[in-house]
Amino acid sequence: MNRLRTAGYHLSMSVVSFLWIAPILWVIVISFRSFDDVAANGLGSLPHSFTFSTYKQAWEDADEFRALINSLLVTIPAVLLSLGLASIAAYGLARYNIPFRRTVLLLMLMGNLLPPQILLIPISRFVELIGYYDTLIALIAVHVGFGLGFYTFVLHGFMRDLPREIQEAATIDGAGPGRIYSSVILPLTRPAMAALGALSFTWIFNDLLWSITVIRSGEKMPVTPALLGLQGLFVSSWNVIAAGTVIAAVPTVAVFLRFQKHFVGGLAIGAVK
Amino acid sequence: MRNDRVESGQRRREQRATGELSLQSNLSAVQAKGAMEKLVAAYNKTGGAQVKLNTVASEIYRTQLPTYLTSANPPDVYTWYAGSVADSYAKKGLLLDVSSVWEGLGNYPKAMQTLSTSSTGEKIFVPTSYYWWGMFYRKSNFAKWGVTPPKTWDEFLAVCKTIQSKGVPPIGIGLGDTPWVASAWFDYLNIRINGAPFHRDLLAGRGRFDDPKVKAVFTKWQEALPYFDPKGKSFPFQEATSALLGGKTGMFLIGTFFADSAPKDALDDIDFFQFPIIDPAVPVAEEAPTDGYFASKKAKDPEGVKKFMTWLATAEAQEIYVQSSSGTAIPANPDGKSADTPLVQKGKAMIESAAELTQFFNRDSSDALQPTADAALTKFLDKPDQIDKILKDWQAAAEKVFNA
Repeated sequence: MNRLRTAGYHLSMSVVSFLWIAPILWVIVISFRSFDDVAANGLGSLPHSFTFSTYKQAWEDADEFRALINSLLVTIPAVLLSLGLASIAAYGLARYNIPFRRTVLLLMLMGNLLPPQILLIPISRFVELIGYYDTLIALIAVHVGFGLGFYTFVLHGFMRDLPREIQEAATIDGAGPGRIYSSVILPLTRPAMAALGALSFTWIFNDLLWSITVIRSGEKMPVTPALLGLQGLFVSSWNVIAAGTVIAAVPTVAVFLRFQKHFVGGLAIGAVK
Repeated sequence: MRNDRVESGQRRREQRATGELSLQSNLSAVQAKGAMEKLVAAYNKTGGAQVKLNTVASEIYRTQLPTYLTSANPPDVYTWYAGSVADSYAKKGLLLDVSSVWEGLGNYPKAMQTLSTSSTGEKIFVPTSYYWWGMFYRKSNFAKWGVTPPKTWDEFLAVCKTIQSKGVPPIGIGLGDTPWVASAWFDYLNIRINGAPFHRDLLAGRGRFDDPKVKAVFTKWQEALPYFDPKGKSFPFQEATSALLGGKTGMFLIGTFFADSAPKDALDDIDFFQFPIIDPAVPVAEEAPTDGYFASKKAKDPEGVKKFMTWLATAEAQEIYVQSSSGTAIPANPDGKSADTPLVQKGKAMIESAAELTQFFNRDSSDALQPTADAALTKFLDKPDQIDKILKDWQAAAEKVFNA
């Protein structure tokens, strides 16, 4: 009986997993089909051809190498900066009796509840006003700004629950607030930081909206808008787009595999706090 | 700190202003992008201001164009469409007056001049190419089914009947993701039944969609509805092209851009016929969407921009583009040579013999009105018996757009 149950569980879960993974498999299959095959038989048919040329085409035509570099140039500093700043803010708010700290925290969180779409035009105008329109710096700043509220909120929840005694002991040993932050609190917050880092990496890397809002030069576009560039005005080579998508997914998949454990942890942080 | 930034921003602007024109292009498809690069390289060899091409994905371009134009430091020249779409930007005072470019364009047809003139009488647009719409089919399939291209509506319905009797849906369409394709049917039925002037007035807000004359368009459409491919609602037009080429549908009302999604060996087998004539008393009009360029009013070097646009209007420049792009576009300059294929020659002859030209629903109205048409036409295809209600809703939606 128990055995049957286990078998049933595995069978049904395999079906569910397959349904989840099927669209991705489909994209991978399309990415190896030739244009004439797709055009003649349609996207839905079984492959009648096999080619690697789509990957070469995506790499060259969408200039994916440069686009990936741009993406990383934006994502890595944005993740480091926003987590660094958020952890300092969370440290102050969680560990010290700052007046109006609840208000500050709520204000930061409120900013996150605003749909980003309504801020598109103000931001593009503001970035232009200060002369940073069409630069990667602007994009980094936007990502840091938008991430800060949520990251602070999550880290605040985590830091608040660290035992008070540790901090008191450090104070007695003569450590100032800066030292306590860097030597005591930060190391203890590492699991939360790793989880947030992995999450924010995928969020920022996969962003499309902000990159097309503050950047207008083709050669500065990160990889997501570059992929859109593979779409023609009317006609799109779906096989090449599929290949480009597969390439663009590599960094996030790599980060996911490396920080798999923290991902799950990260989701739990959001759920409990 | 902030002052510093503003200054550095201004410095950046000044640096850009020196001797370089920026050309913002939405032609992101591989072939078209290559053609644009060749075009710009050819101009840069002629001396004068160097042009820097910046290609942006067409989907992004469509949504960001208003932002580009209204920004403090806008790009100089833009690829876009002629007609009321361009005029809507001119009305907001965003476009450069290029009347001086037009002084040398006396050989352009009257219709192109009208399309390039704003409502205040300034020339704001330089057309460089156009394409056409037609009822496309595979010659081999028509031969197999024993049908010949029809000329009138009755002949057309007879052809549909024959193809259907062979077990093939006669009329292909692709509306999933690309609902605007249905507007071609509305446009053509309207210009065949009520004529181009009525169509233009209607789309400009000077008519009503619940007019009995508009209803007549839909009652005519109902006669052909049983012949539409029932699967056409679920896939985009690119898949509908595959269906046509694979012999799973008989004919397809579409613009020549579909040829880019056809395998090269199938292209020789493709032909088209003119949308059937319904009322011989109505002057024949055809859809000829016209592409070209306009420039920003804030262009840093207006003379350089005009010089570049004058060059774009030459037959020589347009041939460079047409030859290296997919080859179904026709140069706007009457002296420009189009591709030599029989298909293109036939299309060009059809457009040249037309008494009136329209462009396409969105280009003759606005990008804001197009979704109202998509909603109405999709609903009509689903529930053809509710014409009156659909037209009433359409009029209400259109009024909102016109009054906005």
